[in-house]
Amino acid sequence: MPGAKGWELKLKLGRNYEQVLEQLNGLLSELDLEIMKVEELPSRETEKQAIPRAVDEARYVVRLKGTLGSKEAKMIGWRIDNLAALGASIAYLVSKQGKAPREDLEKILAHKFGRWKAVTLVDTFIRSGYLDEDDAGTTALGWRTRSEVDLRSLMTKMAEAKV
Amino acid sequence: MNRPATRSRANLAKGRKELQELIHTCDAIEQRKFNPFFLDVKLGVETLREYFPHWRKLEDHCLDAHTINKLSEVVRLQNTQLKFQSSALYADPEFVAKKIERMSEKRLSEVFLQGWHPLAELEQLTPEALTLALEYWNVLLPIQERWKRREYAVGKSPGTTSTETLTDLGIRGEEFSKQLRAMWNSLRAMYDRERKPVDYWRFVGGESYQETVRRAYLASFLITYGYARLHVEGDQMLLTPLDEPTEKASAGAVSFPIPIPKSK
Repeated sequence: MPGAKGWELKLKLGRNYEQVLEQLNGLLSELDLEIMKVEELPSRETEKQAIPRAVDEARYVVRLKGTLGSKEAKMIGWRIDNLAALGASIAYLVSKQGKAPREDLEKILAHKFGRWKAVTLVDTFIRSGYLDEDDAGTTALGWRTRSEVDLRSLMTKMAEAKV
Repeated sequence: MNRPATRSRANLAKGRKELQELIHTCDAIEQRKFNPFFLDVKLGVETLREYFPHWRKLEDHCLDAHTINKLSEVVRLQNTQLKFQSSALYADPEFVAKKIERMSEKRLSEVFLQGWHPLAELEQLTPEALTLALEYWNVLLPIQERWKRREYAVGKSPGTTSTETLTDLGIRGEEFSKQLRAMWNSLRAMYDRERKPVDYWRFVGGESYQETVRRAYLASFLITYGYARLHVEGDQMLLTPLDEPTEKASAGAVSFPIPIPKSK
């Protein structure tokens, strides 16, 4: 998994690692990159027992500050229909509070991309970390979506988009 | 006398069934199959209250505790839903599904790209990786040493044999061709004599079972290499010799296994 955890950075950079990261962020912004702090999701047990999250458990990753155009996305190996399917999957899961049965998600995608492609796409998104799937067959937003996707922007644009 | 006890038993069974149904509904809500507000938690708690005084067995108390636990999970989900609905991320799932259905793939990808910031990743050799590689290299045996170990798995080396042995085994080309020719001539003679296709079993049948198998084996080559044609008529298999053998296996040939029973 890319990035480094807070405690790892603390070990290497010292207690004031957040200040170091701020300075690094300044340097990276010239390259259209930024440091993103991704909070780890609490496990169900931790959430139920209201156990406070360990300090420095957040993961820090470097990501593109701006966004990509269609042509640039194609250049880094993404197909337009796959991007559309990823956007649709994430938007649907967000509307269902981040979780939905896999079959429901596949049904939504199958309307647009066909049954077999929908199954393959969901598998691909799970493998690449954009989605998660538990033993009960429930899909959820994965670590990569939480790191890379501005959900607020996606949902706003989705609501505004003209059909 | 027994009527109150029977009624009580029926009441217990009804209570257990209702609690089980409550648990199933809570599970479905947890798996996001239903909206958390689909369940009236107050009604659920009242059901628990109604049956609680009747529970005597440990299993029933466990069932009661389990139901409370499940109901509390639904309350937690209701709380999360309320928080979520009051946030900017809230969108009606039906509305989103309809939007996805109506939007073109291009438009969907454009919307996604406006909120997508891919991760940057740098792949490079680090001093630690180089140290690991060097350690691996130092303990790696030379390739001849590693190949030596594999020799245990190698089977018997190829050897040589004499032409006499091959002839005796019927493998040598010339001898085998002679045998085929002899069989073909024999089939043609039978065909000319009878002026009709020859019955397969009459042709391959020998004095002993071994001889029959040998003749069937040769007959299979006659058919495969175009010396004769095999055709089936009802229960009977018939052989017709060809005047000009192709001496090559035909491209569209299909395998036709013929078991040889001992009685033949």
